[in-house]
Amino acid sequence: MNEQDILTGLTQILRDVLGDDTIELTMDTLRADVPDWDSFSYINFIVAAEAEYGIKFRIADVESFENVGAVVKAIGSARAR
Amino acid sequence: MLFNSYSFIFGFLPAVLAGFYLLGARNREWALLWLTAASLVFYAWWRPVNVLLIAPSILINFALSRVLERTSEARPRLARITLLGGIAFNLCFLGYFKYLNFFAGSLNDAFGTHFVLTQLILPLGISFITFQKIAFLVDVQAGRVSRFSIRDYALFVLFFPQLIAGPIVHYREMMPQFRALSCRYDPDNVAVGVTLFFFGLAKKLLLADPMSRLIAPLYGQAAAGVPQSMTEAWIAALGFTLQIYFDFSGYTDMALGLARFFGIKLPPNFNSPLKAGSIIDFWLRWHITLTRFLTAYLYNPMTLALTRRRMARGKAVYGGRNTTIPAFFSLLAMPTILTMFVSGIWHGAGYTYILWGVLHGLLLCVNHAWRLVRPRIWPNAAVYNRRMAPVGFVLTFVSVVFGMVLFRAPTASSAVMLWKGMTGAYGASLPQAVFSRLGAAGEWLNTIGVHPAWTSGSVLLEATVRIGVLLAIALAMPNTLEILAPYEPALGVKPAKVRPLAVRALAWTPGRTWAIGLAGIALAGILSLGELSEFLYWQF
Repeated sequence: MNEQDILTGLTQILRDVLGDDTIELTMDTLRADVPDWDSFSYINFIVAAEAEYGIKFRIADVESFENVGAVVKAIGSARAR
Repeated sequence: MLFNSYSFIFGFLPAVLAGFYLLGARNREWALLWLTAASLVFYAWWRPVNVLLIAPSILINFALSRVLERTSEARPRLARITLLGGIAFNLCFLGYFKYLNFFAGSLNDAFGTHFVLTQLILPLGISFITFQKIAFLVDVQAGRVSRFSIRDYALFVLFFPQLIAGPIVHYREMMPQFRALSCRYDPDNVAVGVTLFFFGLAKKLLLADPMSRLIAPLYGQAAAGVPQSMTEAWIAALGFTLQIYFDFSGYTDMALGLARFFGIKLPPNFNSPLKAGSIIDFWLRWHITLTRFLTAYLYNPMTLALTRRRMARGKAVYGGRNTTIPAFFSLLAMPTILTMFVSGIWHGAGYTYILWGVLHGLLLCVNHAWRLVRPRIWPNAAVYNRRMAPVGFVLTFVSVVFGMVLFRAPTASSAVMLWKGMTGAYGASLPQAVFSRLGAAGEWLNTIGVHPAWTSGSVLLEATVRIGVLLAIALAMPNTLEILAPYEPALGVKPAKVRPLAVRALAWTPGRTWAIGLAGIALAGILSLGELSEFLYWQF
């Protein structure tokens, strides 16, 4: 699974979480770029991603992802282990 | 020492700034030590004994964080225990001063016990300081903070512009700034700082305080059990909402401005919350750093832990649109209400604050539930957002106003009485002078529940006009952060890509027009100095 696959997967997860099928994510997308992507739905998104990819983020990492790309990379490296 | 006092504006502040710039020209370290010492004096001004409380607490927290720093990698178990001990110490410290009497009183009420209530003096700003210290310990354990000395830590905790009522800052956003400070006089920073400071002073003294005087009697009457008609109840509710809005936003502007004099940018704390289109949006705009703290250090860890536990047991977890009702309750509703309960009791040891927190928790749950259900009923998000935006705004505004009654009312029963008044249970009223001129129409109005007001007509008129003006400012005008956006008035604030006409028209520039405008604002503010009025958020 490459980064593009994970990005596509995360896009679908966020669409489900926010109920908005028009969302398009890129590696550089910030939370502030997506309407309604507040701190509450962020944690829901993270948890859904954990379930989807069978991984576990550290809470400190969850707080410090600076963009979508950082989440994608964290998932990629967690699955490689 | 209040920001809005002669002794602060004409004594303390100029002296501290002069010392800071003079020392900074020779040696940065001296300037920063001077700033720390000045902050301690600022804190001690009211009751010097407060220093005896805050100083040991700083030393103990520093010692704990040193232990955490050494053990977080090598001995994670020990680090965890130290962290929990540190959090417990800070919460007990806060609990002793803020909640002991409340709990003892509640026990006495509930069980007829006779715990003696002692007269404890609440150390100023203790709620804010406690949260900031807890965040620091967590950050050290998580490895998000490295390299810190006792001087760094003391300056971080004591920095006087944000010491009493926030913004609640993180070490990792402050310390890089302190380390990079030139500690010299910088005209650009001072220009932005002066602007922010006098914006805040004017909001506090010209907008918030006069409103406070007008509505105080209405809450007094409600507390005494006098029913308030729809007219008075709405004036009380809207009036207080606007009072606390301008009080807190004024305080925040002044804090941002004061920090900027030293070259420091504090994080944004306030972003036109009354313009919010949903209750979730409201909490992303009102007291932003508190929401940020509670989300990062309470809600997120709680939700993550709960979700993983449910997953381990093979139960349904949060699944966006397909979320089951049990998953919604245990993973979203419960943590949300608990977080807002903590937010409520953090504001004050009293039932009204707890109820206010829980009310907002419930409102947030409704908002979240609607987000999950809405796509099934109304799949097109773009059309939904366009058509329903005004509805969302009105619902949010009314909910916030109803909630604020709880925040201000002295007792829960007086808040309920005001709510009944707002919904028309005690009729409406018109000023006596108007009513007496209506003749037969007045008699007819009386039959449908409209009666002459007890409150004097001039007070009603002034309150109505002031509410109108304040609402227009809060809802129609660009906010401080937007006006000053190109100069980064708060940490990370940038100009919007598309700036509305009002923002462009009022955009701040360091030139003649704004110099004259600001001089007028500053003069009006300074001339209203006098009777000392505390900021509402300084009591927390």
